Order: sequence, then C-alpha cells, then structure tokens
Amino acid sequence: MEWHIPSLKELEHFIWRCTACGTCKVAYDYGPPSTCADICPAGTEFGFEGAMASKGKIAFARGILDGSLEWDEDLINSVYQCTICGGCQSQCQLDHKPYIPEIIEGMRREAVEAGAGPLPAHKNLVQSLKSYNNPYQGPRRLRTDWARPFKKAGQPIKDLNKESAPVMFFVGCTGAFNQASRQIPQATASVFQKLGLDFGILGENEVCCGSTAMRVGDAAEFKRIAEHNLELFAKMHKERGVNTIVSSCAGCYRAIKKDYALAADYDKLMDGIKVVHTSEFLYDLHRQGKLPLSGGLQLTVTYHDPCHIGRHLNKFIVDTEGKELWPGAYVGLDESECLYDQPRELLKAIPGVKLEEMKRVRANSYCCGGGGGVMTGFGEWATKNAGLRVAEGESTGAGVMVSTCPFCNYNLGQGAKRIGSAMQVLDLVELIDQVLPKK
Amino acid sequence: MGTATAKKMDPVLAELVSIVGAENATNAKHIRYAYSYDLSFVEPKLPDYVVMVHNVEQIQGVLRFANREKIPVVPYTAGTNIGGLCIPERGGILMDLKRMNKIIEIDPESLVAVIEPGVSHAQLAAALYEHNLRFGWPVGPPSASVASCAISHGIGGMNARYGLQSQEITSMEVVLPTGELVRVGSCAINPDAWHSVLPLPQMDGLFKGWLGTTGVVTKLGINVHHIPPVLKIFTVSCDTVEDMYSYMLNLSNYEICDDLTAVSWWLSQVPIPYPYKPMPAGASEWFSYATTYSFTEKEREARVEIWEKVVAEEKAKGTSIQVTHYPEEALAARTKLPSQIVGSTKNYCKQGGAGISWPGTFTPAKKWAPVYNDWKKILIEHNLSPSVRMSMYRGVHYGMLRAMIPFNKQSKQETENARHAIVECLKVDLAHGGMPYKPPVDFAREINGRAHPGYLSLLKQIKALLDPNDIMNPGKLGI
Repeated sequence: MEWHIPSLKELEHFIWRCTACGTCKVAYDYGPPSTCADICPAGTEFGFEGAMASKGKIAFARGILDGSLEWDEDLINSVYQCTICGGCQSQCQLDHKPYIPEIIEGMRREAVEAGAGPLPAHKNLVQSLKSYNNPYQGPRRLRTDWARPFKKAGQPIKDLNKESAPVMFFVGCTGAFNQASRQIPQATASVFQKLGLDFGILGENEVCCGSTAMRVGDAAEFKRIAEHNLELFAKMHKERGVNTIVSSCAGCYRAIKKDYALAADYDKLMDGIKVVHTSEFLYDLHRQGKLPLSGGLQLTVTYHDPCHIGRHLNKFIVDTEGKELWPGAYVGLDESECLYDQPRELLKAIPGVKLEEMKRVRANSYCCGGGGGVMTGFGEWATKNAGLRVAEGESTGAGVMVSTCPFCNYNLGQGAKRIGSAMQVLDLVELIDQVLPKK
Repeated sequence: MGTATAKKMDPVLAELVSIVGAENATNAKHIRYAYSYDLSFVEPKLPDYVVMVHNVEQIQGVLRFANREKIPVVPYTAGTNIGGLCIPERGGILMDLKRMNKIIEIDPESLVAVIEPGVSHAQLAAALYEHNLRFGWPVGPPSASVASCAISHGIGGMNARYGLQSQEITSMEVVLPTGELVRVGSCAINPDAWHSVLPLPQMDGLFKGWLGTTGVVTKLGINVHHIPPVLKIFTVSCDTVEDMYSYMLNLSNYEICDDLTAVSWWLSQVPIPYPYKPMPAGASEWFSYATTYSFTEKEREARVEIWEKVVAEEKAKGTSIQVTHYPEEALAARTKLPSQIVGSTKNYCKQGGAGISWPGTFTPAKKWAPVYNDWKKILIEHNLSPSVRMSMYRGVHYGMLRAMIPFNKQSKQETENARHAIVECLKVDLAHGGMPYKPPVDFAREINGRAHPGYLSLLKQIKALLDPNDIMNPGKLGI
C-alpha cells in the first residue's frame, strides 16, 4: 500500500518557516480579559529553550538537517521528551503551524531510520506490537477479558467475526489490556446495550490501531498494522455490514481518522464506513432525543480535553498553490471536527451534574502528559505532569475530572494518586452509564 | 535531558551543577544549539554551557564563579530581540532567566508593579487585567520578557504618552558581574519602596541600554496605568512621507495620543511583501493610526475635536492627507496587544522565511522624511520592501524610525543581502543624527566609529568598573 508519510527532509521547507519567535511557548489569549498559562509539558518540566514547545523542537530539526547535531543519548532523550500534544501548534501563527506534530514525528522517524531511536522502552513496546499486536505484551486471548461480565450476565457482545452488525466498537488496547482502564469499554458496551444498539466487536482478532508506533517514529510497524486494519475494516463492511466504527479511545480515533488517511487507498478502503468517537456518537443520539438520561448525580465535574480528539483534529487551511497569498501560506483554521462541544453538552445534559471549566481548555487544554510515548519512555514525568493537571482541576472545586480517553484517564488517575488528590477520574461513558436506564 | 550526570569530567559544568543543580546545567550540544540563533541575520554561535537559574543566590553564585574563572556570561530571557543580543560572541555560560518569573507585587493604588526578569508580557497583561491596569505592550510575541524589553529601551503601545519602556522603570535590583547584589532607585533606600528612581542619582542608567553587559537585573519596578474604557483610533493616509510627518508633528503637539504611528504601504501589508513588490497604482504610501483612550464620552469628543482640527489644518496646507479606513486585521494587531497574530515581527516575516532584522532607530522626527527617502532607494535596490514605521515618543522631539526587513534565513545569500541593506540604511540614519536601539554588533561598530572619544572613554571606564574581567555578554558593545 502506498503511504504519504513525510520524511524530515521533505518537511525542511516548513522547518525554515519558524522564526523562533517563541509565540508557541505560552497559551495566551487577548480576551478581554486576557489569559496566560503554560502550554508545553516538556517546557514546564525541563525548561531549557530546546525543550520548550515547537521553537525548541524545530531547533533540533534544523540542527539534525544541517548536520550540526548528531544522534546521541542526550538528543534522543530530548526528541522523545515531547507529548506531541499540539499545544504549541495552537499558539503558532506561521506557515509551519500545520506541520508541527509531523516535524516532531519526522525527527523520530529519522532517529529510527538511523538506528538511534526509539528509546529502549519504546523498542519493547514495538516488539510487543510485532509479537502480540498490542503494546501491552498481552496474549491475544486476554483481549476480551473485559467483556466476560456481559457473557456471564447472559448478554454477550456480538462477535463480528461470526455475526453481522452495522456498528463496530473498536475497543483499543488500553481499554482491553490495562486493568485500570477496563471500566471504559465495559461502560461503553453497557451504554450500547441499554440503547439496544446492534453492535459488535472484533474480539481476539482486534489489532492495535498502531498509534503508538506512529508516535514513536516506527513508520514501518505503523504501516503494517494500519494496512491490516484498513483491509479488515473493508472486509467487515463488505461481509458483516459494518458502516460505523465507534472508538472510545482518543488515540485510536485519531489514528484511524487521521493517520490512516495518509494511505493512498484510504478513501477506497473506508468507503461506506464512518469513524466516530463515543462522545460524538452519543451526542448525536442525544440531539435526536435517543439518549434518555434520567436519575441524578449530584456532582461537580471538570472536563479534560484529550489532545487526540481536540486540537489534533484541526484542519488547516493552506494556500498550497499560492493562488491568494503564496505557495504554502497558512491561511486559517477549521475546528469543526474537534470534539470540544460534544462531551461538554453531554455532561451538561446529565441531571445533577455541574460542569466547572479549568483555565486551560479546548485548543489550550493542558496535555495530561501521557501521549507521544512519554508514559512509556518517561513514566515518572508523565505522572508528575498529570498531577499538575489534576491540581488545576481541583482549583475549579470539582470532585470529578472527566475525560474521553483511556490513556488520559489512566495517567490522570496516576497523577491524582501522586499528589494525594481526592479527585475522581472518570470517563464520560462511565457517567452516562450511571444515568442511562435499561430499556 | 543532557545534564551533568554524564559530564562529570567537565570541571566548569561540575561547578555550575553545584550552584544550580544537575537538572539546570548542561553542556549538551543540542540544548546549546537551540540558543545559538534568533530571528536576526546575526551568525549563529553556541554557548559552551547553559544554566537555568531560579533565584538571586544562584545568579550570584554563577557570576562569582564566572568572574573568578573569567568565563563569559550571556543573560537570556526569551531571546526574541532582533539584534542577536543573546547570541554569545565568545561562548561561555548562557544564563536562562525564564524560571525567575514571579510578579512580586502589583500596587493598583500607586500604579507600580515589581517583576522578575522572566515575566512575560502575556503573564503581566493577564495579571494587570485583573486590576483593570495595563502597560505599554509592544508588538512582540506574548512570551517576550517585560524586563528585557524595558532595560533595552524597547517600545510599546503608550510611547507617545509616557515615552520608552525604560522611562517607566521605577527601581531595580541587579547582580553585578562580580556577584555583588545592588539596588538603584527608591528600593535602595527602603526595600519595600519601588516607586521612583528620582531624586537619587539615576544609577539605573548603568544597566539600561547596555545590552546585558553590566549586570543581571533580578527585580524591576515599573509604572503601570489604568485602562480607560473608551478607545478611539484615528486613521489617516498620505501620499508622501513629508505629508505624513507634517500631520504627526501637528497632532503630537496636543499630546492626546497613547500611540502615534505611521507605517509605509509595505508595512501595512500582513505580511510584508518579500521580495520587494511595487505598491499598486493609486495606493497611498503612508497610513497612520493614533490611539487615544478616554474615561468619558465627553473626553473622547474633546479628543476627536482636536484631531479634526489637525486634519482640517493639514488639508488647508494642501497636503495629501485623507481620513481613511485602516485594514481591520492590521488595526487589531496594532491595538489588541500583546498579540499572537502580529506576535509580531513574526507574522510580518512569514513570506520571507524565518528571518527578520531592522535598522531600528531613535531619530529626530524632522529627519524622518529624508532618511526614509534614502532608505527606500537602498532597500529597493536590494529587492527588499521599504516597510518602514515612524512613531512619536512622548511629544514631538524624536521618535522611532525603523524598517522591518524579512528575509529567507535558509539562504545565506539572501541573509547577507538583508544584512548589507540594513547596515547601509543605518549609516544613512546615523548621518542624520539617528541612534539605533538594541543594536547588533554590526551596528555597534558603526556607532563607535562615529562616537566622541570622550563617550567611548567613559563607556569603557564604566564597563571596566562594573565588569573588571569583561565577562558580561562580551563583544556586544563593539569596544
């Protein structure tokens, strides 16, 4: 399959559009009232200018391209000390803005190709992908453990390998293999069953989305997985009638929707299949009056925007051919696919739930610290950063921090423990499951 | 991160680690590389070490050590100047001050704020806004340092009314290159008094405009101001620089504006055309915006009355002045500050690619027209846009005259072309009595070549007194 994954060299033109002005370093909004806050987890933790936002990462990219910097342990560590959250990208106003995550991942691909990357912990992760088709070294048979309670209760979840259904619930590896996150697929499946939805799962045949491989720069492994999944999705559409893939994981959703689209055959293979995140899926039902929320939860909650269903879904308007400005000019931003409002509207729709916003939200959401391979490569820092986010949540007076990503959910939970916070970290579907009556 | 743990054999690094901790000192090349360049044409050069300091004691420790060992020290906050001022001329230790970012005090009654050097414009703007206060925000990136801008005679959005950012300084705490902690202004006499540098001898001048070569400012008192609720922006255009100067001179006599600025057609474009392109036939060559704030509608009406009188007078003189519409995006970028969009020079240079520098000068207002006309010729000859700005400072005496020059930094040839044009422009300005601000070393040489011998002698004596081993940002003064 042909892919359009750019090399660092191919991104060089955009790397030279960065002026090093440093606008990327802080989340600032004129307002009024004007607001200002840290936006870069790496900059917050390490502080040196090279660690700081896209300004710093682009300095590394320049140095690698012009031969000033050679791969050594220090450089490798710094290149991987980035959650690729895109917070800096939200601030930047220059022509390289649309390509900032690609430039960072391009450096990582360069490192992998040079034999210098990824980090040893990431190599274990990639090896696990190769051996087990998941990054958790989990045997295939354990992938459906989370679904046992449904079988036990006499409400087994449909297996798409054997039966047809229009909706595929793509569970994701974190929900399936990370014990602490299993409540998310369980709540999702519970909600779907309560709604009487005709849905199924791939069961033991589900394969990782490949996001982790892509994030750490192993394009070859990503492509292997993505090609398998794209062909499987097409087969499921043809043979099992699947027309919607629902993901409760922000990382999987982003990968299938955005990373897979780098394949030349994406449109052909995904023809007739819609990819949606649970928050979007449930919000559509809510709008149609098909999500009957009842009962009451007397909770004050705050909402953490995962990067992968937020600003990572930005669409950038670029004057590619220079018809209005000049070739490659960044013209503007289209946020219509960013899932900022849907989770909030659902939270507001839950009886008794009061939503209190943190200072850094939506495009300026402060990353939990777990993404971009950081949780694997620098676990201690990931947890520390999550503690900062939880503390920000505490400042709103909320007792519950809600998110829509198992990865964020896990990391924020660890962060809460680290700072001794009583903050409860829940996924949106867990709350909805509590107030959705059985049919 | 490349910290000291793997570099134990380096005795300098070991000493730095003992002062600031292993996580805050490094000689890793990639970290040093990120400090080796800025937006300007100044050739990249790496420091040998980088330290992040968190308090005054650490600054003292680093400076005492560096002074003893005669190692250069380059103070750094955000590196957003356009003169290569933080690019080390002789290697040494780059001292990153961004972590010293406390707003120590905002006194809404005395209208004074006390800040550390790492406080950014965005940070201070947000904090002041809670008191309905403001400072003269520049058109720089929101992450730039307030203190660095002020001590380098930077400019802001209230220069027509209050003068330069440096004229808003009320007190200072400074670590000298020898490590000694000193204070100047009222805080020197009473540690809690930060209201004024006068009537004491103005020793703050020992640290303002010296490009970080005489010490490290650790606390800065600045005047802040109320935000009046009513904003009125006067916008006019003229066909010639002479006509625009006439209007600005006339209006500035009434001292009703916070900012009184004019920009050439090329600078009014966002971004600046690169390379040069002629302005369209029939377009005005100059546009002016003048901001004026009022507490009441009646006050605003009185200001409008004055402005209308000025415009009528200029029309009666037969000048080409027209009341005009200023492009909305450009106007917002000039008045809604700090601004990410113009964030600023940065958006200007989008079309060029990564580089921007300027001949940025304080020039007698009556010399603006002849200097501009010469600059225009020079810049067009270099295929660069004459994107020039003129701003009045605190009345009619002099003001800022500068040309923002974007260039393609990926090309050494285009970078050198811009550098050459800018230095040629500077020579013209110096001949007319102008003075460059935040000057790169190329400029410093031109200044010193024309300087009175007594000025240079005094400069050297003061520098030697404060920095006997010439460790602070050496080479930047061109002496």
